[in-house]
Amino acid sequence: MSTLDADLLHAHAQGDAASLVTLYQQAAAQANDTEAVAFYLTHAHVFAMEINHPDRDALRARLIEMGREAPLGPPRPPLR
Amino acid sequence: MQDHPTDLSAVRQPIAKANGLPNAHYIDPATFAEERDAVLFDNWAGLAVAADVPEVGDAVPLTFLGMPLFIVRDREDNVRVFQNTCRHRGMILIEEPRRIEGAIRCPYHSWCYSTDGRLVSTPHVGGPGQNTHEGIDRALLGLIEIRSHIWMDVIYINVSGTALPFEEVHADLLARWAEFDKPLHHGGSESSFTLDVACNWKLAVENYCESYHLPWVHPGLNSYSRLEDHYHIEAPLKYSGQGTLVYRQLKDEAGTTFPDFADLSDKWDTAAEYITVYPNVLLGVHRDHAYSIILVPQSTEQTLEHVNIYYASSETDEDLRVRNAVQWKEVFTEDVFVVEGMQRGRHAPIFDGGRFSPAMDGPTHMFHDWVAAQLERARAAPRAAE
Repeated sequence: MSTLDADLLHAHAQGDAASLVTLYQQAAAQANDTEAVAFYLTHAHVFAMEINHPDRDALRARLIEMGREAPLGPPRPPLR
Repeated sequence: MQDHPTDLSAVRQPIAKANGLPNAHYIDPATFAEERDAVLFDNWAGLAVAADVPEVGDAVPLTFLGMPLFIVRDREDNVRVFQNTCRHRGMILIEEPRRIEGAIRCPYHSWCYSTDGRLVSTPHVGGPGQNTHEGIDRALLGLIEIRSHIWMDVIYINVSGTALPFEEVHADLLARWAEFDKPLHHGGSESSFTLDVACNWKLAVENYCESYHLPWVHPGLNSYSRLEDHYHIEAPLKYSGQGTLVYRQLKDEAGTTFPDFADLSDKWDTAAEYITVYPNVLLGVHRDHAYSIILVPQSTEQTLEHVNIYYASSETDEDLRVRNAVQWKEVFTEDVFVVEGMQRGRHAPIFDGGRFSPAMDGPTHMFHDWVAAQLERARAAPRAAE
């Protein structure tokens, strides 16, 4: 098992979303095919959204550019 | 065996001739389910208080009449109510109270929702690394929001979505208490408590509405608040309750009181009012504090009473707040043997719903009449499946 794999498993076990954002971006950087890159960036984006990570918007933009994600819809007003 | 549907004709008579709701409305699960839909879901029912989610991102899961819900304070500071269910495979989204930093991520397949309910991510929904699919229209798959309205810090919900707007339904009451339509400051943890009572939720309303029982059940109040110092509050088919003309402020040893709400009229120097916002919210207002009791039915014969106390200022004396909370808890606890006793009494098969004092029970009969009216409305409505 690579160090990156071990670190990812550890971060998952700890529920450490900030580390997951970083580690999945590292995994994407090391991947050598588009499918794998999109897969890892998707995970980085999900955890970035969950914790409002500074990389969130950039990750979404990159996935949109790759044809893998859609822009956000408009805000929803409260149902009163 | 209970008659179902029940005969409500006696309930709707003038008070001098009326009987209370039949026993089935207190002990029969089928009638409880009928009331759930017609009385609680079709109207504006109390669910929780906005103070339960004080900061942006705070979320609290709740179960209301079997429905998994959560309340959340969204990024724009709006308190909202959603079904606590992912639109994908129905997984529960939020298991325990917590602060949502960004999006709500389903723990199953990680579909993500913003705090305003938008579906913002559907990872791998179109295959690995492909997060969109033409069959998944995110605009149609946001969280199911429950219609809500906040007044006096209480979160009211209209589950069916069919009620008139809250401000219309309760226009008279909002006008009556317009002087209290100002910021309420929750008294903190010691000003929040719950009573678990073995009774149908309506019995707590019925007892709260009338002052008839005060000298017998709350003799401590009798020292300064006599029966004749109380008046009925009666708005037929809208709300009911009671008021007192001799409210006395709590004081500490130095004579310090809580600060008053600003700009109250002279009436409130000594008046206090206690009103049920039909169906299930009991409110009390005084010159220096207010409270809500939200009745959350757990079953036909079990109810949680969630009490929250508020003040005119965020700067009040903690010891005095504790004394006030203890005092109210004593009063509310004194009522428990009554509502639980009435609950047990409802298992007497020949009991006819009971009679009302024409002079003293008007506000309580008014609640029975309103419940009966809700049921009659629902029974008369055509059913979609038929």
